[in-house]
Amino acid sequence: MNCVIEGNCVKAFGKAIHALSRIGDELWLDPMVKGLALRSVNSSHSAYGCFLFSPLFFQEYNFGSASKHGKETIKCKLLMKSVLPLFRCLTSIERSVERCRISVSTATDRVVIQFFCRHGIIKTHNMHFQESEALQAVFASHLCPNVLRAPARLLADMVMHFPPFQEEITLSITAMKVTLRNYQEGGKGHMKTLCTEMSLHPDEFDYFQIGLDSDITFCLKELRGILSFAEYHSLPVSIYLGAAGKPVCFSVDDMVLEGTVLLATLMDSESNDHSQPTEPRSPTTPRGVNSSAQAVDAFEGPSSMHHDIPAEMVTSSQGSPVINSPNRMHQNMWPACLSLPGSTCTSANTSPASTKICSLLFKAVSSKQDDGACAAQPPVLACYSDEENTDDNQPGSPSL
Amino acid sequence: MKNVPCLLSSGVVTTISKLTKTCVLRLTPDNLFFILSGKVTNGGVGMWCELLQNNFFDEYQMEGVSSEFNQICLEVSPENLSRALRTVQCAKSVKIKLTKKHCACLTVAAELPTLSSASRVVTHDVPVEVIPRRLWQEFKEPVMPDFDVSIYLPPLKMLKNVVDRMKNLSNFLVIEANLNGEMNLKIQTDLVSVSTHFKDLGNPPWGPSQRGDPELLAEATVDIRKLQQFLVGQQVNPTKAMCNIVHQNVVHLILLHEDVSLQYFIPAVA
Repeated sequence: MNCVIEGNCVKAFGKAIHALSRIGDELWLDPMVKGLALRSVNSSHSAYGCFLFSPLFFQEYNFGSASKHGKETIKCKLLMKSVLPLFRCLTSIERSVERCRISVSTATDRVVIQFFCRHGIIKTHNMHFQESEALQAVFASHLCPNVLRAPARLLADMVMHFPPFQEEITLSITAMKVTLRNYQEGGKGHMKTLCTEMSLHPDEFDYFQIGLDSDITFCLKELRGILSFAEYHSLPVSIYLGAAGKPVCFSVDDMVLEGTVLLATLMDSESNDHSQPTEPRSPTTPRGVNSSAQAVDAFEGPSSMHHDIPAEMVTSSQGSPVINSPNRMHQNMWPACLSLPGSTCTSANTSPASTKICSLLFKAVSSKQDDGACAAQPPVLACYSDEENTDDNQPGSPSL
Repeated sequence: MKNVPCLLSSGVVTTISKLTKTCVLRLTPDNLFFILSGKVTNGGVGMWCELLQNNFFDEYQMEGVSSEFNQICLEVSPENLSRALRTVQCAKSVKIKLTKKHCACLTVAAELPTLSSASRVVTHDVPVEVIPRRLWQEFKEPVMPDFDVSIYLPPLKMLKNVVDRMKNLSNFLVIEANLNGEMNLKIQTDLVSVSTHFKDLGNPPWGPSQRGDPELLAEATVDIRKLQQFLVGQQVNPTKAMCNIVHQNVVHLILLHEDVSLQYFIPAVA
């Protein structure tokens, strides 16, 4: 694969890498027919970010190596700390870089990034990559009961009131308002910390659809990256959320790129009753959302609420990771995510305020979904699919 | 309960947050005080900062324990308070109230301008601990000892530069000054001794009366980190900055800036 990015767009590309660097330590380069995807996952698999640049973004985009069969694609994984420094100083990139060429060579296992700068200077960076299955979270955004859309500025203004080290925040949504407050784990610690709270009126959103009152708690740190990206490009941010425990999706898009961040949310064991099937109010019809049958199979819809997820699930691995060739997708299983460090998962039964991070499970789309065995099978929140040629598997591609 | 709509400058609180992790906020009908009493736990360092409430608040209501003891003492983390105030700097209005949530809190409620008609309210709850009346005597205004020398300080930035470099060489610094406007900062180690001399600083007129030789230097040896901590927090050049020294006993620094007075006591080490 090789592609060329024209000067003005290099900064946007760099900004996307900055946003993903907030999420994980590794970056997957995933060239596809429909564009180049950059992906990252955090170590506890509770946050996933993806930026997809369509071929229109590039000056030149040549996908597909000269390979034996057309199906073989490059799955390359780079260390974020190798890539980020190249794009760290965006102002100087803006000033001096005329274009940037990225090429992936499977023969030498190298990614070559070349910056063609002013005065004829060419900077070439060679990075060794690891061949690794690019994981891709699939999230049926159209099945989310609550959908919000707001200018990036609004969200940035809200988020700035929280200190930079604030780990988690809670977003509560009702038909009357949206509230943000910082989240503190129970115990003596919270006596000494600053509590911040603010509310937003539905009118402040470009789009406000509520199907279910909910309180979700997620990690703010991982969100800041995409918010900063959105603010820079003045793009509105769409938020897809459901009940506590379900992942929340933040996405931005414009004509040539799409960015998505999926975050796991805390599932509060005390509110298990809430999470039992209280039928969500019939949501107002979202305008023009793609519905896709394929994604419905992959994602158990909102009516399948969380049953008691045993604490063991979160800590143990769900089968060994079997990395097979891309075609055997239902055998590809990603191990169940481990709980976030510091969470009280393992002592869930003892502590009163036991909360569990319900991690994003990356699981293969299995053709045999037996509902009967649902309780035994932990519910899948976001599915992993290795097939990239169907649009439906695109994480949270909204078209509002 | 106190109801206070205001436009409070967060500068003072930020400065104090650099000096100490917790301090006592004492509220009286006319003033606010940020106090750190010179206990052993603080390394003997004491701080007293006094503000006229009139200059900061449009409206100020407070009710103390009783009319005889009309004051409130709260233990607070100035860092939290500073952060809360900083984020609401561009608010249309700010109210600070003493409330009781999961514990006693100073609730800073700010009304922020928004693009839409709805107004946005951001609230920060700063947890505080109410200090019972029996402990109030610890937080009285410190008694001014008889100073041997009183002198105006050189520009704080310059002082900070000097102290920063000296800190790398030694833990203890000798401050000496006389009534002739001269001040020296000295450090001494096995390998090196460094001293910086300031002249023509001037002495405040209300200082100790001339007794004996004006050239006579009063000195005190202090922990250099405490002095540095004090200097790091100063963001604005004060209107007046003075230093009082009790020979080999204590160094007393006073900063005056726009109706805020900040006093800082550093004990001399043996």
